Amino acid sequence: MDDDLPTDFQVIVVGTGMVESIVAAACSRIGKNVLHLDSSDHYGGLWASYNFDGLQKFIKEVNSDPKRQLQVYNLAEKWYIEKESAQDEKKEEGGEEKPEEAKAEPAKKIWSQANFSAEYRKFNIDMTPKLLFSRGPLVELLISSNIARYAEFRCVTRVLTWLNDRLMPVPCSRADVFATEAVGIVEKRQLMKMLTSIVGYNEEEMNNEFKDWNDKTFKEYLAHKGLTPNLIHYVLYAIAGGTNNMPCLEGVKECKKFLMSLGRYGNTPFLWPMYGSGELPQCFCRLCAVFGGVYCLNRPIDKVQTKTVDEGKTVVTIDSKSKTLNCDHLVIGINECPKDLISPEPAESSDISKAVFITNGSIMKSDKEPLTLLRFPPQSDDDHAVTVLEVGPATGSCPKGLFVVYFITNKVKDAESDLMGIAEKIFDMSGGDQTAESEKPKCLWSLFYNVKDTSAAVASVADCVHVCSGPDAGLDFDRAVEQAEQIFKKICPGEEFLPRAPDPEEIVFEDDVTHGPEFQREHDDEAEGDAPKE
Amino acid sequence: MAKTYDYLFKLLLIGDSGVGKTSILFRFSEDAFNISFISTIGIDFKIRTIDLDGKKVKLQIWDTAGQERFRTITTAYYRGSMGIMLVYDVTNEKSFENIKNWIRNIEENASADVEKMILGNKCDLEAKRQVSKERGEQLAVEYQIKFIETSAKDSLNVESAFYTLARDIKAKMEKKQEASNPAGARSGAHQIRANEQQRKPTSWLSRCSLL
Repeated sequence: MDDDLPTDFQVIVVGTGMVESIVAAACSRIGKNVLHLDSSDHYGGLWASYNFDGLQKFIKEVNSDPKRQLQVYNLAEKWYIEKESAQDEKKEEGGEEKPEEAKAEPAKKIWSQANFSAEYRKFNIDMTPKLLFSRGPLVELLISSNIARYAEFRCVTRVLTWLNDRLMPVPCSRADVFATEAVGIVEKRQLMKMLTSIVGYNEEEMNNEFKDWNDKTFKEYLAHKGLTPNLIHYVLYAIAGGTNNMPCLEGVKECKKFLMSLGRYGNTPFLWPMYGSGELPQCFCRLCAVFGGVYCLNRPIDKVQTKTVDEGKTVVTIDSKSKTLNCDHLVIGINECPKDLISPEPAESSDISKAVFITNGSIMKSDKEPLTLLRFPPQSDDDHAVTVLEVGPATGSCPKGLFVVYFITNKVKDAESDLMGIAEKIFDMSGGDQTAESEKPKCLWSLFYNVKDTSAAVASVADCVHVCSGPDAGLDFDRAVEQAEQIFKKICPGEEFLPRAPDPEEIVFEDDVTHGPEFQREHDDEAEGDAPKE
Repeated sequence: MAKTYDYLFKLLLIGDSGVGKTSILFRFSEDAFNISFISTIGIDFKIRTIDLDGKKVKLQIWDTAGQERFRTITTAYYRGSMGIMLVYDVTNEKSFENIKNWIRNIEENASADVEKMILGNKCDLEAKRQVSKERGEQLAVEYQIKFIETSAKDSLNVESAFYTLARDIKAKMEKKQEASNPAGARSGAHQIRANEQQRKPTSWLSRCSLL
């Protein structure tokens, strides 16, 4: 079947990660003749989502062939539940439990490994889980390009932080600030004043206000402004997502980004893609295909050469499965890229520590199924913050009754040592009786792993070869979008980046999108009285 | 925005390249047949609203965008689909044999209760026929899926195939709604809009698409 594959293209894209897929879509959209390949049998590369079966295969692959340089290492999978279901036995034992607890809630399902296998298709587990800022560059691009029609999203319902040894909701919006009972009335005014001033700064005002703070930290600035330790915690760790060393201006910018995205789609600034982040590269691939891009997975490349033909024009030839493919521009993911094409070798950077947990309940109880961002503050002065994302069945990530929780941080030692301490704070890792009443959800399964940080921009040996970075440890897709646009501009100078794709017909979806309150600049004391209560 | 339909069904066309998926789509949505388009370029999906037992049913029918050519249909293509037309070409034995592979692909990626139907297309080309109607029927029985032979060119059975699939989805949906609370079609399947119209928050847990 592969023999039908044409050999001459204007642009060949190798790898179906986020950056590669956006570039492929952009080139195809303006009429370039595009071939898009991937060496593996699925889309996404390191940005992929796997069902439970696919994930098992991935783990096996990495463990059996470490030389393949999958950029993933220290992979440690662990079960905390029995192989086969022991539900029947447990039911009989249930009679001995305290009766008042037993009747309060319907009996909790006792999960076994066999249950996971049976429902493997209901899992969509992300290798690179990321959120979208409601007014961030990816949301804007999805809307302006009309690629949004290929995806669905859920709003993140709450932002949590870890304060005084427990989980606390972070007041994000104006209404939240007034409604929260976590801070006193004086603190509320202080917080409102701080957030309102940050959201109001334009570029010039920002530079003016902070000109003396260039070499100081955001934390110092907040303390200077007289914020209490609690408020500093909320603003620095939860809203800005920073550490103690976060430079002042960066902190202000991160805060502003957070606040500006409030009120567009929900009560928090964030969106999560249904079925996981791994859907998003595929949406761009779909657009590429709709405009004529040719797709071929399972197609490793062997050799890449650049040749100068007549009139100084350079072409790239690629050997793949005994076929020679030619193109004017090669766009290639860093993980698929032959070493000799990269120049110079990228500097060693800090890697990423990640973990995935499957639990039998949310980290913090909620009336409706929550979708949670928890930013775990650094545990010491030079420690890294940990990003925690918890997604439930409504996002298409797992079967009913379960939650999938992702941890992401910069690597210090290895994924397990970097993250286990925090896991123990919010999960019950004992593997004991799943029906037992407990504050914390039971961890049923865990996976720790390290990923090479390949997110730094890399130059190639030739102008017609464009190397795409891998995923970073950040919360959003902003860097991927930015890099894709830069690469596109190099290939197609002067062309529009992903102009709106026409609608086959105006699509009208039944729609009850939630709009949270806008973050308003003006300080209105009267609003305090009629702040909406949850 | 006022709703102009009672139900919205997302349908997919699946099958080997060249079996006539796009022709079927055009026959049904535009009542047109254009022999000149060879592969599926620029066609995303088509919409046609039909009337079923007094209800307005909006069918959103998605084409493969040519990604079936090297078996590279995205998993995202299958998300949220409620009905799938499996298409083969009666003049192409291979495309018929591949139906089994496509069914496996659907089982892996689509929702477990998706309605399916097999179409043997190009039945106007009797002289070139390689797959008998009986074999098609037999395959359909084997998988317990409905089957019909169509000709997009002669406008034969295309209309009735889509009506049949839509009716089956509607029946299944109404049965489900009776069984549980009336949650509406595809509960919570929403798209986010770019234009920020003022809407009252209805729930804090919303599922949306950007539009």
